[in-house]
Amino acid sequence: MKKYVVYIILLLSAGMTSNVSAQVPVLNSYSPAEATVYLDFDGAEVEGTIWNEQGKIEAAPSGLGPASITWIYKIIADHFKLFNLNITTDPAVYQRAPVHQRTRIIITPDGSWWGPATGVSAIGSFVWGDDTPAFVFTNALTDNPSFIAAAATHQIGHTLGLQHQSVYDSYGAMITELSGGESNIFSNQAPLMGIPFYKQAVWKDGHPSTGARNIQSDTAAIAGAPNYIGYRKTTDTDISTENGIKIERQDRSCISLISSGDYSFRLFDISGRLLTQGMLKPGFNEIRTNPASTGVLVLQWSGEFGSGSQKIIH
Amino acid sequence: MHILKTFLSSICLLFSLLLSAQQKEPPSDLPYSNKIELSNQALESLFKASGHISIELAPGFLLEGKIQNKSDHGNSVTSLLVKVDSRPGGMLSISRYKDPKGNIFYAGHLLKLHETEGMMLVERDQHYYFIETQQRFLVAE
Repeated sequence: MKKYVVYIILLLSAGMTSNVSAQVPVLNSYSPAEATVYLDFDGAEVEGTIWNEQGKIEAAPSGLGPASITWIYKIIADHFKLFNLNITTDPAVYQRAPVHQRTRIIITPDGSWWGPATGVSAIGSFVWGDDTPAFVFTNALTDNPSFIAAAATHQIGHTLGLQHQSVYDSYGAMITELSGGESNIFSNQAPLMGIPFYKQAVWKDGHPSTGARNIQSDTAAIAGAPNYIGYRKTTDTDISTENGIKIERQDRSCISLISSGDYSFRLFDISGRLLTQGMLKPGFNEIRTNPASTGVLVLQWSGEFGSGSQKIIH
Repeated sequence: MHILKTFLSSICLLFSLLLSAQQKEPPSDLPYSNKIELSNQALESLFKASGHISIELAPGFLLEGKIQNKSDHGNSVTSLLVKVDSRPGGMLSISRYKDPKGNIFYAGHLLKLHETEGMMLVERDQHYYFIETQQRFLVAE
């Protein structure tokens, strides 16, 4: 009888163990891409990396359910939808990806081995080729899926070589290393490479932590050397329905949009008066508008992937 | 007199051109406090070593330590992790990547976690350098 009880307990525990890994839904944001970011939710043992000064790290499973994982994945995938990059929860996809174009983000509750932080990563490790992972510590993020997604995107940005987006005074002295979007008080946006938790988090062109004289275009840095990821072709993205332009957000002084290529644009009011014009570059763009220009505006664009127009209620 | 002035001006111009040509570009866009140029031979010798190593990577820059991990990732990338005795507690992580044309590249870091300074291997014009920089530019939260 005792033998059967032990057998049943073993069976049950095996079932529970397989259930933990079975809880992670298999998701891929862009399967044609070779470059891969693997979101590892089900725990990991890390050895033989720069993180292992004190020996092996046993990262516990995140404990997040399928709904939370899918929510987190969708937010992260949305941040990277411009790029020729696959966000996956499938370890097999990660293993098949080129070793110098992949990274693993371990999403785990406890980061006490590192210290008080929401995550940590080695800048540029995406191309190191040695499978150095990055970490997101969910306890420090109160297990909030939106915070976890923002923190994971931030850490992925680091692995892709991005520094923090910082704020400097007019003399070039750093005010804060992590920008929370203070530079425009009318905007509800904050840089993903700053503090991305309390406002709408976006990729930015700004001054990185390496100095006030430097400019870091987050999108250009992700797509370009040494990652060589590039952008998705227009037809492959969900922004193709808008002829390559997708309005992300607008407020009284700014229209934020994502462009799939180089376009010239013109912004008119409803009476056909030209308000502003200029160029859009691939990636994230902002068009400054006069807060007094209210009502219906019309954005027209023309460029390498065609032309189009869109009405905007301002 | 006029010819002499022109001649001297030309010499000055030539000299300044030569000087500017000799000034190399900095090896990295990151701010750094020190740089050490490494030979490809020294880097290559790291990947041939096993167990305890003692290699002079550059004049006056002796790397002593123990290989903790050596791994091959496919056919093209070999990675080394060395616990460095000459910088106590430090870890050298270095990878050697061979592209499909047979060109060899290296990437690496010498870090001790939570220190303020770290070293990063950078390449500029086919020369490799270890630059000493603030660790917050190498490891970030």
